[in-house]
Amino acid sequence: MTLLDALQQFVTECNQNARLREMNRDWTRRIQLDPDDTHHHHWLVSDAGELSAGEGLVKNPDMLIQAPEDILTQIFSGQMTPTEPYNAGDLLVRGQQDDMMRLDILTLLIWGE
Amino acid sequence: MQNSLSRVLPLRTAVSTSAGLAAAAVNFLAAVEVAEYAGGQSAWLAILVAGVLIVFAGSNFAELSGLFPSAAAIRVWIRRGVNDQVSLVSSFVYMFTVVFVIAADAFVLGHAFSRAVPAVPALLWILALLGFVTWSNSRGIKVAGTVQDANAFVLLGTLMLFSLIVLLRTPHLGQFHYLNLGHNWFEAIALGIFIFVGFEWVTPLAEEFQDFRAIPKGMFIALGLIAIAFGLFSLTLTVAFPHAAVLKNSFVPQLLVGMRALGPFGFWWMAFVTLTTAGTTFNGGLLSASRFVYALARERALPAWFARLNKKLVPQNALIALAVVSFVLAIVVYLSGQYLFLINAGAGVESFMYALSTVLVISLRRREPNRERSFRVFGYPVIPIIIGVIFLGLGVEALLTPTGKSGFPWALVFFLAILVLVFFYVRLAVPRLKAKRSTLASASQK
Repeated sequence: MTLLDALQQFVTECNQNARLREMNRDWTRRIQLDPDDTHHHHWLVSDAGELSAGEGLVKNPDMLIQAPEDILTQIFSGQMTPTEPYNAGDLLVRGQQDDMMRLDILTLLIWGE
Repeated sequence: MQNSLSRVLPLRTAVSTSAGLAAAAVNFLAAVEVAEYAGGQSAWLAILVAGVLIVFAGSNFAELSGLFPSAAAIRVWIRRGVNDQVSLVSSFVYMFTVVFVIAADAFVLGHAFSRAVPAVPALLWILALLGFVTWSNSRGIKVAGTVQDANAFVLLGTLMLFSLIVLLRTPHLGQFHYLNLGHNWFEAIALGIFIFVGFEWVTPLAEEFQDFRAIPKGMFIALGLIAIAFGLFSLTLTVAFPHAAVLKNSFVPQLLVGMRALGPFGFWWMAFVTLTTAGTTFNGGLLSASRFVYALARERALPAWFARLNKKLVPQNALIALAVVSFVLAIVVYLSGQYLFLINAGAGVESFMYALSTVLVISLRRREPNRERSFRVFGYPVIPIIIGVIFLGLGVEALLTPTGKSGFPWALVFFLAILVLVFFYVRLAVPRLKAKRSTLASASQK
């Protein structure tokens, strides 16, 4: 599975979940993903709870996430919680902590504990 | 990584956050304690020396924060610099320090308001404020950063202003011995460390700053402000109230200074500042500690129960558990009057953490030599090593300082009990939790 596949799976899970869409209706954010090994950039955007993702750069991001591409893929495919690499220093974030917490909660609500 | 974030924090927030997290109501009592051990009017100098030492510890934190800017802060640094188990043990002990400070502030709040409004029992004030802060946190209501920041500046400004007023009204200022060091001056410095405790808790905000150098700048400015405010406050206490026993037994030195400065208005203003300071300590402590507990539960170092969220997406179980533990400890401390062991234990834990920061700086320079550092410590490696050894000594001294008439160092017993408990939890329970949940994850994938 590629990072793009994982992101698209994540987007589908979020958009099909009524509870998550309701939860994120006040959440509009542009998130830049920067794999620090491949530098093959991807983006994730929430537009009032409607998520989309793609390859490349996003303009004026609210949040930057940096980690090896394999870890990013595992996070967005539900094989790993974001907290594990985050607490190990393998995943670095720039942006507001509330947004990082929101992303972690999304993975929790989609894939459980 | 790109540097074009749409929303970032300014330097002012780094200063106010660092000063605000260090500014606890229990610092008023810590200043009395420092004065007692310093042996009189040299207490201000003990606080100043503690502040200078803390600046060097702060430079360690600045390098670590620039190296791994993360809200998980020490959890990440110790894991990368030593190993996972030491990181977990240290993080748990560090988290307990937050609970100590909440309980100690509750003690000060209870005494201040039982003096100001004797009709209402002190424990009711503590329960009301802690309950309100827990409720507002659980509803996802966040105290605006500006309110939290303003409180820090109001507290420090009030201390400076009231102290200067009292000093200017005190006759014969030239008769005092401002440089006369008492027999327990080293203990005075060790306890003076407590006044600065928490200044480094601004480092978890590193991700939210555009320029990581705002963190060291903010910490150093905040340390200067705290040293001036509490240095002046301790000087005022020792000059205007030469009999330390009167202050110590009152438990409300800040109200006495307020009364001496501006009469009843000064008394009530200080009571108000005590309330807002305790409130922001409760709020900041519970907010950050509950998120930390949530993160530990998410990485399977604590039972999943602690990661449960309420409808407002707040980790409610973690929040309530911490509030209950804080309240129980606050009751025990208030009824027993034994608040000193919290100050000594807090000073000891923080001193050890500052010593550990030296180990981490050296270890990570070796393990990750090519990683970008936005700040480098002064005089590496000689000065960090000297500072590490000094803080190790100060930590031992703080824990060995007697906390009652018996002369027994209860802070040491308290610290060792928590350390042993956490050590066995990390060695025995955490591997089982992780194994159990890995098994569940494998089963669900099949």
